Amino acid sequence: MELTQEYLARLDAVQPKELPGDLDLFDEATATRGIRLNKAAYSLKDEHQRDLFAKDEEAWMAQFGLTDEEQDLVRGRDWIGLWRSGMSIYVMVKLSGVTDTPLPEIGKQMKESGGGANG
Amino acid sequence: MARVVGGIGASHAPSMEHIYDAGEEVRESDEWQPLFGPFKQVADWLEELKPDRLVVVYNDHMDQFFLDAYPTFALGVAETYPVADEGFGARPFPPLPGDAKLGWHIARSLVADEFDITICQDLEVDHGVISPLPMVDFSEGEGGWKIPIVPLAVNVILHPLPSPLRCWKLGRALRRAIYSFEDDLRVVVVGTGGLSHQLTGPRFGQVTPDWDQEFMRLLAEEPESLTRYTYKQLIELGGTESVEVVNWLAMRGALPDDARPLVTAYYAHRIMGYGLQTFEVAA
Repeated sequence: MELTQEYLARLDAVQPKELPGDLDLFDEATATRGIRLNKAAYSLKDEHQRDLFAKDEEAWMAQFGLTDEEQDLVRGRDWIGLWRSGMSIYVMVKLSGVTDTPLPEIGKQMKESGGGANG
Repeated sequence: MARVVGGIGASHAPSMEHIYDAGEEVRESDEWQPLFGPFKQVADWLEELKPDRLVVVYNDHMDQFFLDAYPTFALGVAETYPVADEGFGARPFPPLPGDAKLGWHIARSLVADEFDITICQDLEVDHGVISPLPMVDFSEGEGGWKIPIVPLAVNVILHPLPSPLRCWKLGRALRRAIYSFEDDLRVVVVGTGGLSHQLTGPRFGQVTPDWDQEFMRLLAEEPESLTRYTYKQLIELGGTESVEVVNWLAMRGALPDDARPLVTAYYAHRIMGYGLQTFEVAA
């Protein structure tokens, strides 16, 4: 099977490689690393999950098999830690809602983070 | 026979929802008029054009689709599309009317053209659809949504993404699907998303107006040149989340080559490069 230049170019086109260090994307590495945290934050689409989060955050977290480290990141509202652990920005927004964290606050921390989600 | 009578490219963003929901005074404020003024022009144009359907090429933001099974392309074949709860409670809009018959026809035609889409009978639409749509398609106080839609979702958030060339070809296949539909419908194709924005990392909030305006120029004048951009280039030029512009490319692909830009508006504000562009198609 010959792997033609045309094929290799197409393969390259769907998966950016060697991005500058201050840019990141959501891909195999982040999706794999972040699956538990993403499931947890995605659940907050459901108002019953939001109610549970407000009433008993520990019971809410216990549903998703988060590691001890991941639970600490949630407890600490450590947005950069959550991002580096693979949490997608789109579910992070849902977690920011239940914790009354405005997006500009997360943005401020992002700017100061020095990067590192694809590291 | 159905046919394509126009195209719209429009940014989508939660900020647009907040401003719309804040009421007319805020929409018409000096701060927001540069965006909402052009939207009013588009609404007037649409009112005159009176299309029968909108096919909306957009992307979801983990509000309907999740990582358990993430579709590369997904098409709605429902009679109604409820508004998704994105984590803050759903906005108080009635479900959007759909057209299941047209949806199923597009599904068959796309699959025949080797676009093996996910077919959705239940689909909640998020701000990818309903942040720009009320500005052009909703009557406050007199009957709500005006034009039935068929939503077509593109994965632009979980890499690998369908390439810009693939999205252009999707537009071409969508065009054929519309022209092969038996009912005499006049269809406007909408592509939502972008333009430049960056929501993660040290470049959070970065907007790149020069590239955004160049993108709209290329989309109007040499759309196929955009199919040669790689995602790496698009991310470097406009930011990680700006890759949503491939939804505009699919829209443009669904239009005839000689479609002409009518309204072109751009407003770089806060953390978004907001773009709005309409295309007219000769009868």
